[in-house]
Order: sequence, then structure tokens, then C-alpha cells
Amino acid sequence: MDFFLGGLTKGLGLLAQLDPEVYGIAWLSLRVSLSAVILAALAAVPLGLLIGQREFPGKRFLVVLFNTLLALPTVVVGLVVYGLLSYHGPLGGLGLLYTPGAMVAAQAVLAFPLITALVIAAVTTLDSRVGPTALTLGATRFQAAWAVLKEARFAVLAALAAGFGRVVTEVGAAIMVGGNIRHYTRTFTTAIALETSKGEFAQGMALGFILLVVALAVNLASHQLQARWK
Amino acid sequence: MSNPLFSLRGVVKRFHDREVLNLDRLDLEAGVITAVEGPNGAGKTTLLAILALLTPPDKGRLFFDGQEIPRAASQLTAWRRQITLVAQQAYLFDTSVEKNVAYGLRLRGLEQTKRDARVREALEQVGLAGFGARRARRLSGGEMQRVALARALVLRPRALLLDEPFANLDPTSSQVFERVLGDLPNQGCTVVLVSHAREQAHRLAQRVVSLREGRLTPGLDRG
Ligand SMILES: Nc1ncnc2c1ncn2[C@@H]1O[C@H](COP(=O)(O)OP(=O)(O)O)[C@@H](O)[C@H]1O
Ligand SMILES: [Mg+2]
Repeated sequence: MDFFLGGLTKGLGLLAQLDPEVYGIAWLSLRVSLSAVILAALAAVPLGLLIGQREFPGKRFLVVLFNTLLALPTVVVGLVVYGLLSYHGPLGGLGLLYTPGAMVAAQAVLAFPLITALVIAAVTTLDSRVGPTALTLGATRFQAAWAVLKEARFAVLAALAAGFGRVVTEVGAAIMVGGNIRHYTRTFTTAIALETSKGEFAQGMALGFILLVVALAVNLASHQLQARWK
Repeated sequence: MSNPLFSLRGVVKRFHDREVLNLDRLDLEAGVITAVEGPNGAGKTTLLAILALLTPPDKGRLFFDGQEIPRAASQLTAWRRQITLVAQQAYLFDTSVEKNVAYGLRLRGLEQTKRDARVREALEQVGLAGFGARRARRLSGGEMQRVALARALVLRPRALLLDEPFANLDPTSSQVFERVLGDLPNQGCTVVLVSHAREQAHRLAQRVVSLREGRLTPGLDRG
């Protein structure tokens, strides 16, 4: 019990004192994970929309594929992105390894199949008349797709929130391609792993606590939006 | 027939190799209400989907106002903007009545003051003045169909297509549809409505064509 209470008290203390290291880590985590979700969504939302709306041979296989990719361990994604970005890798020239950019890339790869799979599910369960209705009212194909996205907005938003949840809490990929460098690529999860291994529970608890608050804020914001739309 | 708005020549539609529509020749005159009657499964909804340019026929040619409709999907928007469809149990967007009715005008880039005026006028026409701020998908079935009618009328289409417009309508909504549709030919609008029953639709129509198993039945053609 002391372990938790002591850690929590010290952790809240660090938060109250606006400990620059703790807040720096929180800020980097948010920046990296939000960028990753936005980057992934730019590809995943249109792709999910396309796959969900169209009928074509091999569609079922694609859906199964994306659902399988969901189960990919984060360290495997980390390994692949590491391989791509390492000095001798095909993208080594970008010099991204052990930078926040590398973490954004790895987390975007992680979020991509999840968001795609959830958008496919959202579009598939949506009333199939939305697209044709928009077309008969004069929409272009692009405008009709936009109408579909708007009608599926709750589920699409939930997909983005789920993507954010997956990347902000993962540790494997962030450590492998970010390197957990202090003041540079240290995030919530990599810091907690490090502090705990050093026996510094207070710092770890403080970070864990902010992570919880962040998750709460994301969910509240998404519920607030849904309430406004309803 | 002097001036057909739609002309179909040798139009064939198949689903999974089963022929559901085969129309050798069908002309629908401009400014006239045509009713297409036929039992369930006759191909009425499929015919409307072809006329609405939602479903391309597998064979044949389709002319609108004397011009052949192109095959390429990317070219169809300009044509579709002259034709609109009120589906059976139409889908209303999950937003206000007003935004539903304004949707097509917005797509056409009409400025807001003009848009608001036309939306108000269309809602009055269908007896839903004052419903603008209501949530569309919470209305009763008949009210929803009237919103769908207003959403189509507001576009002032050259052709209005309706799928079973009188099915499952309450008496008030039914009267609204009858009054509004009856007046459309005076405004130069061509109306095609399909129904499996003979009553109301046929009172309104100047011409009735019969569809049986995807084919026109000339003997029953009236008008
Ligand atoms: N998307 C579709 N896929 C397969 N068969 C269809 C499809 N749409 C319609 N059909 C079939 O085409 C025939 C005509 O249907 P439809 O045009 O809806 O008839 P109606 O509106 O006159 O009742 C029916 O046998 C129906 O089962
Ligand atoms: Mg039908």
C-alpha cells in the first residue's frame, strides 16, 4: 500500500510543483501521439471509407488482413520501422532514428490498421442509402463520400480515439525507434518503464497519473462532441 | 409523343446474371405524370435507379432531353442535378430538417439568404413550416417522407422520381403528396412515380405503364 500511496503522493507533488521534466515528457507524448494519429488517419479514413463502401473481389481478405494487423505486437512494428530507419536501412538517409519523428512514424504505422479496420466497420454498419441519397441530391462522388463520413461521425471519432489510446500507451515501438533519450524522445511510457527499473516510483506514478488524466480528457472531449451532435 | 424527357432504348439490367429489366422502348413525356405499376419484384425500383442515374444499365441507351447519357460515372453529376429521387422510406441525414432540405442547394453553391428562403418555401409547401430546427430522424414516418419531398422540391428538378410515394403514409401526408405532385406538371416538372397498388397513384397520373417481370405490358398502357 505504501508503494502506491507514497508514489501517488510524490507524483501529485511533482504535478503541483509543475516539475518541468514531467511536463516536458507529457507534452512530447501528446505531440507525438496526436501527430501519429493525424498522419495515420489521413490514409486510414479514406481507405476505410473506400473498402467499406465498395464491393470488389478480395474485399473480405483485406478486412481480415486489417483485423489481423491489429494484433501485431508493438515491438514488431518497432522492429520493422527500426529496420527501415536505421543507418543502413532504405530510409536511413532521412536521419530519423532516435528522433521524435521516428516515434511518430512508428506510432502512425501502429494506428493505421486499427483506424482503418474501425472505419471499415463504421461504414459497413451505416445505412447503405446514405451515398445514393447524396448522389440524387446532386453530390459528386467525393461529396457523397463526405456525406457518408458525416453520418458515421460518431464511429469515426471513436476510431480516432481508439487509435490515440493504442499509440499513447504503447512502449515497445517508442523505445526501439526513439531510444528514450532524456529531454528529447522520452515519453510517458518509456519514462515510466525507465523510472520503475531504477526504483523511482514517484516519477513513474506521476506520469501514470497524467496519462490517466489525458485518457480521461480525450474520452470526455469525444463524448462532449457526440452530445453536441445528438 | 411530342417531346420525351427520358428515352430508353433496349435497356437491360441484370443482377447475378438474372435479367430483372428489359425495356425495348420507353419514352416518358416532359411535363407529365407517369405512373409505373406492377407487382413486387417487377423491376420498378430498378427502373427508377436507372432513371436517377444511380445504376448504369448493362445494355442499351438512355437519353435525357434528347441527349445521350454518358457512361463515365465522373460525368454524371451535371445530369443528376436535373433529376432527383424520393426513395421509398427515404434516408434523412442525421441533422436538422432545415439542413436536410438545404443540402442539395448547398452543393449547388447557392448563397445562404436565397437558400434559407427556398428552404422555408419548400417546407411550407409540404405543410412543415416551423419544423426547420427539428431533428429530422426523430419525426414520424409521414413527416420524414414530407421532408424528403421538400428536400427534392427545393431543387426545382426537371424530373422528380418517386418510389411508392403513397405506401405507409398517414392521411395528412398522403394529401400533401397528392396536392404537391398534382401541381408539378404546371411548373413544367416531369414526374415518374411507381407503385404496386393502383389507387392513388393512378388518379394523379396522366399515363400509366405496366411492368411485369421487367417488361412493359402494352395492353395495360393507358394514356
Ligand atoms: N441489388 C440487387 N441485387 C440483386 N438483385 C436485385 C437487386 N436489386 C433488385 N434485385 C432484384 O431485381 C428484381 C426487381 O427488383 P425491384 O426493382 O426492386 O422490383 P420492384 O421495385 O418492382 O418491387 C427483384 O427480383 C429483386 O430481387
Ligand atoms: Mg420497389
